[in-house]
Amino acid sequence: MEVGVMKIMPRQYLAIMRHEVLMLWHDTGLRHIMLWASLLGLCLFLLVYRSQAITAIPTAVLDLDHSSTSRQLVDQIANTENLNLVASVNSFDDLKFLIKAGRVIAGVVIPENYGRDLSLGRQTRILAIIDASNMIYATNASSTFLTVSRTISAQAGISTLVANGVQFNDAQDAYQTVDFQEEPWFNPALNYAYFLVLALALNIWQQCCTLAACMTVAGETGRDSWLQIRATGISRWSFFSGKALVQLVAFFLMALPIFLLSFLVLKSPLQCGFPVILLFTMTFALALQSLGAMMSSLARNPVDASRLGMIIALPSFVLSGYTWPIEAMPHWLQSLVWVLPQTWFFQGFNYLAFKNPGWGFISRYFLALLIIAGICYGVAAIAISLGNHGARRVES
Amino acid sequence: MRQIWAIASYEVLHIFKDRILTLMVFFVPILYALLFGTVYASGILTNIPLGIVDLDHSSLSREVADIFTNNQYFQVIPRVATYPELQAAMKTGAVRAGIVIPADFEKRVSEHQLSKALLIYDSSNLIWGYNIRRYARTLTNQFYMTHAAAYLSGLGFAGKNINNILDTVSLNMEIWYNPSLNYCNFLFAGLLLMIIHQIGLMGVSLTVTREKERHCWLHYLSSALPAWKIFIGKGLPYFLVTFFNYSLLLWFSTAFLNLKIEGSLGLILLLGLLFDLIITTAGFAISAYAQSSLTVTRFLLLLSVPIFLSSGFTWPAAYIPPLLNGLVRLLPYPWMADGFRLVTMKSLGAREIAPILIALAIMAILWVALAVSCAKRRQPTNIYRSQLATGFRRVGHRLTVIG
Repeated sequence: MEVGVMKIMPRQYLAIMRHEVLMLWHDTGLRHIMLWASLLGLCLFLLVYRSQAITAIPTAVLDLDHSSTSRQLVDQIANTENLNLVASVNSFDDLKFLIKAGRVIAGVVIPENYGRDLSLGRQTRILAIIDASNMIYATNASSTFLTVSRTISAQAGISTLVANGVQFNDAQDAYQTVDFQEEPWFNPALNYAYFLVLALALNIWQQCCTLAACMTVAGETGRDSWLQIRATGISRWSFFSGKALVQLVAFFLMALPIFLLSFLVLKSPLQCGFPVILLFTMTFALALQSLGAMMSSLARNPVDASRLGMIIALPSFVLSGYTWPIEAMPHWLQSLVWVLPQTWFFQGFNYLAFKNPGWGFISRYFLALLIIAGICYGVAAIAISLGNHGARRVES
Repeated sequence: MRQIWAIASYEVLHIFKDRILTLMVFFVPILYALLFGTVYASGILTNIPLGIVDLDHSSLSREVADIFTNNQYFQVIPRVATYPELQAAMKTGAVRAGIVIPADFEKRVSEHQLSKALLIYDSSNLIWGYNIRRYARTLTNQFYMTHAAAYLSGLGFAGKNINNILDTVSLNMEIWYNPSLNYCNFLFAGLLLMIIHQIGLMGVSLTVTREKERHCWLHYLSSALPAWKIFIGKGLPYFLVTFFNYSLLLWFSTAFLNLKIEGSLGLILLLGLLFDLIITTAGFAISAYAQSSLTVTRFLLLLSVPIFLSSGFTWPAAYIPPLLNGLVRLLPYPWMADGFRLVTMKSLGAREIAPILIALAIMAILWVALAVSCAKRRQPTNIYRSQLATGFRRVGHRLTVIG
């Protein structure tokens, strides 16, 4: 008797797996989404972030002085890293118009008598205007102007000191004996493509996985196969694990080309090594599958399951703290966002790709994803036991 | 009018009968607004964890440490005191920036040699990276001024003279439209519009597919109702709900989530109406062409991230390839996001945003024309063709029974 059951179980298990493969493949919309959406997303984001960094902030200059000194300053601004001098205007209104229309992001106003005041050692003020409606431009522009400010101020100070009879070397020492060397770690070129492209593609991937996982139970309840599955008396463990295994393989096959393209072709940073990132991604895939299965078991039909799953999947990237840091969110939300598997994944992914902090640190991320998976499968199993999906089908 | 009212009432009934749809249409927008608004509530990074490795322990190195300690930008983490500790803390995210002051820092300065301190920052997240760089440059500029003043004092200059020399040329920075460089003002409005876009499309795009799946669309096709009445009747509830959500989210976000909204209220409403009209009509047209509710739900849900990121709302459009930019401009979201930002942040008027209004109006007209033309589409999809066949079989069966 016991030997008979042992023989039957693997067959049932294989049948569930084969059934799942067929179900995924015959669902044309889902098949296209799983095959193409993540790759298309990767290509799209690559195109969007092709230039990788903001290197030429459109800038206009209003030179009210028209002296040789002010022209020198204009040249200096034109040669400043990250600023791109695109216009020279004749009035403040013109500058204002260009900034309002978004044609320039920054403006520099050189006051009248700039050259004369400078040569007489009188105080003079240059105005730098930054359009901060787009913060990506604004943070770059303000950092650049801080450097420009220091350089201009030091040059003028040294000239004034020399004019006051101080030796040139002494004057230089006042401004230039200390230097702060900047060293951006983990992404030295401050490359937006490295920071965002793969993470955004993985965000699309996790949405696709959620959509597929949401069919685990709801995809069956609308079909005759659900009654067959119930009638066979197959255990919940076999049912979930059989389906989950097929879906996990599918998720892995979806993620693989994204990683290969990113790491081998596009040379995205990867500090931890390929096997570790794959293992971590598959642990996340398991958590996603469980989340989808849970949503699926709670929903009445595939449309509802997809909508419920996506209610979580859509905002999860913003909530994950991958872009806006979790530390900057309110305390109550900081605790809440760690409930989502996406938060553990995107945070862990950032650490593994850029920093590789070691197993001792990252193991908690694996563990958290496994715990979430366990809880979600548990809820799904209870929901199936308590729910009457089969009865609904019979009624219909 | 009564026919339109009847169809609209029937549609409202459907919305309320579908619990998930009711949830999505009435509850999810405000939930998402609350979540995103809370995420960006602070809007500015403060108290960034910083490690200071002072290998010099001199008065000059303490000056540097003081500058980086006494400000609202950074919070010094005292347990990080050596370079290996700083390395480890940077790797685990315990600190996001570090200052390393070498052992001979003050000695080199006193010997009139260039003395270098190291400023390290975490650029694995560029929001950290760019903001830390900006804050650090602000503070180092302060340090340079303090250091130069002390040096000049040592040369025998009096206080007033020192100020005059240091202030000979100064560059005053004026930040326009978002003076506090607040990320909430920058991003949140775009996310709100994306919520409206997605929830609006999600709701209305099921209006025809649902009828097809319940074999009820035949009633509309075979009725004497003109196409435009079907379209208006079915689209009206979603149009009203989307506009209600638009107004509600804007009010809620300004009242409770510190979203900065300036400019003409009339223009904001006009932009909202045009955007709403495009969403409703586009959703209806998609629904008429789509094979099933499941397909349309899946594909629409996946659109939000690609549209948002390629719209030029965050990453500047000038840095996106022109071909992609042109393609994205065929969608309403980039125009709406642009227009909304120009009105609410820059207080531009109708004349300045006329191209955006015209583009949205043209899109609205085209989508209305398409939606009306496909409201009684006679070329069914494969699935629908089979449903039609089932419908005809049923009618045939009934006729046989009656016969």
